[in-house]
Amino acid sequence: MDDARPGTGVEPQEWTGASGSAWASRARAPLPRPVRRWPWIVLAALLAIAAIAATLIAVDQYQVAAEWQTRAEVYEQQRDEAADAGAVLAAQVDDLDALLDTSEADVGDLEERLRVLADQLARAEDTATTVSVERDVIVELTGRIADATEALDSCITRLFELQTTSVAAFNRAAAGDSVDVEPLNAQAAQVTTFCNEARSAAASAGAAADRLAER
Amino acid sequence: MRVRGTVTAALAAIAFAAGCVAPPEDPPSAGPTIDVDLDRSARTVAATSVERRAQEVTVRIRSLGCDQLGLGSGFVLPGGLVVTNRHVLEQPVEVSINTWDGRSVPTEVDGVATDSDLAVLQLAEDVELPTAELRTDPVRTDEPVFAVGYPQGGPITVSAGRVVGLVDGSLLGEPADVIRIDAPIVQGNSGGPLLDADGLVVGVVFAAEPSRGTGLAVPVATLLQRLDGTQLRAPEGC
Repeated sequence: MDDARPGTGVEPQEWTGASGSAWASRARAPLPRPVRRWPWIVLAALLAIAAIAATLIAVDQYQVAAEWQTRAEVYEQQRDEAADAGAVLAAQVDDLDALLDTSEADVGDLEERLRVLADQLARAEDTATTVSVERDVIVELTGRIADATEALDSCITRLFELQTTSVAAFNRAAAGDSVDVEPLNAQAAQVTTFCNEARSAAASAGAAADRLAER
Repeated sequence: MRVRGTVTAALAAIAFAAGCVAPPEDPPSAGPTIDVDLDRSARTVAATSVERRAQEVTVRIRSLGCDQLGLGSGFVLPGGLVVTNRHVLEQPVEVSINTWDGRSVPTEVDGVATDSDLAVLQLAEDVELPTAELRTDPVRTDEPVFAVGYPQGGPITVSAGRVVGLVDGSLLGEPADVIRIDAPIVQGNSGGPLLDADGLVVGVVFAAEPSRGTGLAVPVATLLQRLDGTQLRAPEGC
């Protein structure tokens, strides 16, 4: 065991025998203090490495800063472009909004005109429907009047025939001939019935004409 | 001494490194965006759309009876069905509808309700017409509504109002409570739809109460019960 602690002033002692009778002292010359340079070398190396690293980092950061600068300029340019585009878009939206209002108003006006026209068309169809019905009624009425007129005309003809037959019978009776009045009475009854029906038809047609006139 | 120097150098390096800044990432590629407030236009268009749609589904009824021409209103449902009032179809001989845009379409009477003032028509031609949507939820008092129709057989009108309340239907020959509204109703509105704020049909207008300034409408629930074909009969002839 060797204590080489420098500068303590205590010299090492040596055990000389097994009996343990005595310790022997022995003086030695002080060792030359070694020159320890390696810490300074290490320190210098570390400093050098640190300097190199710092330089590298500084260069890198310089580049990073340049990139950020470039990026900032790009962002500023994009911001300006976005602002310009936004302004243009806002103006376009305003224009579209105005156009929408105008279009909406135009559509409203057109729809109103369409409604007016549709209303006029519907009323015209109402009139057409009514006129169509009235036309059918008039056609039917015309037919009934024609039938009544024809029946009345036939009635007159039969009345003429009855008159002729009656005059002939009267003349024969005046001449002293015998006259059978039964056929004459039968003919008169038939003519009466026929003419009554003709008058009823004429009255019905007249009433229908009055109703039509009241509409 | 040596250890202290090493630590100091390390700390200095760390501090130096901590001050370093990472390079920027790639800039976003998305283009510029803009937030524009279009609420005003949207509200205007939406309100106009509801009213426009309401007019599109409402039709004018022309019913040629035995000796008179009946005019009223109605609305179109899917399947070519048209709903109107029973009293609009008096002994119908020929029934047709007029649309808001001037078209005229003949119809046939599907049936008239036996216990309500409702009638159902069927379009006789295959035409595409806008159809109404029914709301099954009952109306609420003070709810805004609007009635659409052809008063006096004239141009189509939209009458806005609110639900006043419900009226006992048995007093009016109806199987269920009817809706009373404060919208102006006149002759010719009969059969027209009563719509809510969203344009959904909540009733069928069938009467006016001039003394009160109110109108009455058959609720959709009654209509739905009649649309299945029950309680319907053929109309009376001449």
